[in-house]
Amino acid sequence: MNKIFNTETRIPYIILFFIVLFSIYPFFYMISTSFMTVGEATNQYLFPKKIIIENYFEVWKSNNFQEYTINSLIIAFITVAGILFTSIPAAYSFARIDFPFKNFIFYFLLISLMIPEIIMLLPHLLIIRGEIIPLPFGPSWMNSLQGLTVPFMGNIFVIFLLRQYFKKIPKELWEAARMDGASHFYFLYKVIIPLSLPIIVTVSLFSFILAWNAFAWPLLILTEDKWFPVTVSIYGFIREVGPNFNLLMAACVISILPILVLYFFTQRLFLESISNFGLKG
Amino acid sequence: MNFLRKYSDPITGYLFISPAVILISLFGIFPVFFGFYMSFHKWKVFKGRFLGFENYQRILGDIPSFWLFVFGLLLLILSYWTWSEFKDKFKNKYLIFLLSIIIFLISILIINISWSNMIIKGDDDFLNSLIYTFYYSFFTITFEVGLGLIIAFSLYQKLRGKQFFQMILLFPYITPAVMGAAVFFIIFGKSQNSILNEFIGFFGYDPQLWLFDKRPITEILFGIKINGFLAGPSLALVSAIIYGIWSYTGYYAIILLAGLSIIPNDLYDAAKAEGASRWQTFIKITVPLLTPIIFFLMLTGFINTFQAFNHIFVMQTSSAGDSMDVVTIEIFDHFWGRVKYGYAAAEGVILFILLNVLAISQFVFFRKKLNYE
Repeated sequence: MNKIFNTETRIPYIILFFIVLFSIYPFFYMISTSFMTVGEATNQYLFPKKIIIENYFEVWKSNNFQEYTINSLIIAFITVAGILFTSIPAAYSFARIDFPFKNFIFYFLLISLMIPEIIMLLPHLLIIRGEIIPLPFGPSWMNSLQGLTVPFMGNIFVIFLLRQYFKKIPKELWEAARMDGASHFYFLYKVIIPLSLPIIVTVSLFSFILAWNAFAWPLLILTEDKWFPVTVSIYGFIREVGPNFNLLMAACVISILPILVLYFFTQRLFLESISNFGLKG
Repeated sequence: MNFLRKYSDPITGYLFISPAVILISLFGIFPVFFGFYMSFHKWKVFKGRFLGFENYQRILGDIPSFWLFVFGLLLLILSYWTWSEFKDKFKNKYLIFLLSIIIFLISILIINISWSNMIIKGDDDFLNSLIYTFYYSFFTITFEVGLGLIIAFSLYQKLRGKQFFQMILLFPYITPAVMGAAVFFIIFGKSQNSILNEFIGFFGYDPQLWLFDKRPITEILFGIKINGFLAGPSLALVSAIIYGIWSYTGYYAIILLAGLSIIPNDLYDAAKAEGASRWQTFIKITVPLLTPIIFFLMLTGFINTFQAFNHIFVMQTSSAGDSMDVVTIEIFDHFWGRVKYGYAAAEGVILFILLNVLAISQFVFFRKKLNYE
């Protein structure tokens, strides 16, 4: 014990203790309140006298909350799949294949990183309504799954991260594969993807979080509740919940859970990526 | 066949990038140009007549003043750059210091003059929202980077459970903003016996209304009434700022820790060999080597926090009035609530220009500086 807690490390440990307390407290509050009765929640007790699991059942069944959670899962999975589908070949192409204007195109796409999301929303809205170009699936994508997912399927930041990783894979592998008559597609599928699983998992998690957090965009294009994600439903819930904080907190726990579980399994990769690239959030 | 073989690489290349290029051009780059186009028109749901710069005129009051303002911002960054670039190249450090101080003062003067020109004739709501955004950005970033540094230094000592601390620190960062804000919405509620109010009551303070209080922080803390910029953010905005600090401090700590770990160990060894104390090493080696990273993070942070939206939107209360309307909320409100598309687009373009002035200056000044060679 003395070894861990000597004079040199005492102050850092004390600082970290308070920081951890500050970081964890809202989670503690959320979980603790979600098990309380209405009375305890309104008076903001620290702990519930008796743990009440019924809050969770009540939230899950009422207000279509389970549908919204499933909506969010579907939206997030489709977005992630779309991002991977567009980004992996593009990143491979930018990293490994030579073609004219390669760098020009890459830097051109990087411009999209410098544009605030709030500016994009309005033109996106007009595109989704089909007022600028004719859209493939239906005249308008308002209130639809494709409207919620397709605009976010191209992500230059993900391409950038993957490209950095693909560049480190030795060139000799490709030359050997080409000797054996492999195509780029075959090589990408059989060699590059299996070798790059760590980074692919990281960018998937990153995209999943982005898709799960989406709030302003769904709020804008959804006028019916059929495709409401959890974020929008929680926003509505805050306004109408009144004093039933315990139910609100139970809903929050349910909707944060998928993110925390994913993070728990991939935290090491996630940490490394932040240290190396400073993942943009 | 020969043709195909010769061009097979470029064809596959273009084929591979085409889905991403199409999507990113359409949804990532085209919107900016279209936003410009919209901002020159009267546009309420459907396109109206061409207005030219009228939207900008109404927002900014005086367009040349806006450019003067942008110039002032550039000078402000230049003053730091002058100091950091030339302090080691010239013998007379004080002269350089004086020079950068002079540039700094001139930039403040220019910003002040151009701002007061704009606020006389311009759209008060929008210009005030820029001030609120500045409060939000300035305070969140200062605390995030400051606390982040303290945490990074703490973690940099050889501690047990470093991995564990890092994991906990990133919890707030990955928490979805809407759900996090929902929790803070309750914690910062107006109830007299809330935990937060009891906590500050423990230190002898009266219960506060937090998110429901639009009085500026100076009035609450010191009981003095100031008008204008120096009054500071409202208590409601301070609550949102605390959320911002909560969610991003760990993230900055991790990046700063990575920055600390790149500093070569032999520098420390050399300092130790010459008998430098810990404090001296810290002041003479760590701080100078970390300063570019800190400044870089602050600029990036400004760019990111200027776009903060979700949690502020969720935490808004009607009794806080417009004191929480940061610029993103203002823009969103204009096109979602009031359906003034052209006007909102013009506001967006102004935000875009301001952010890119920051981004470009960051790129120009710090491209070379972020390595330790």
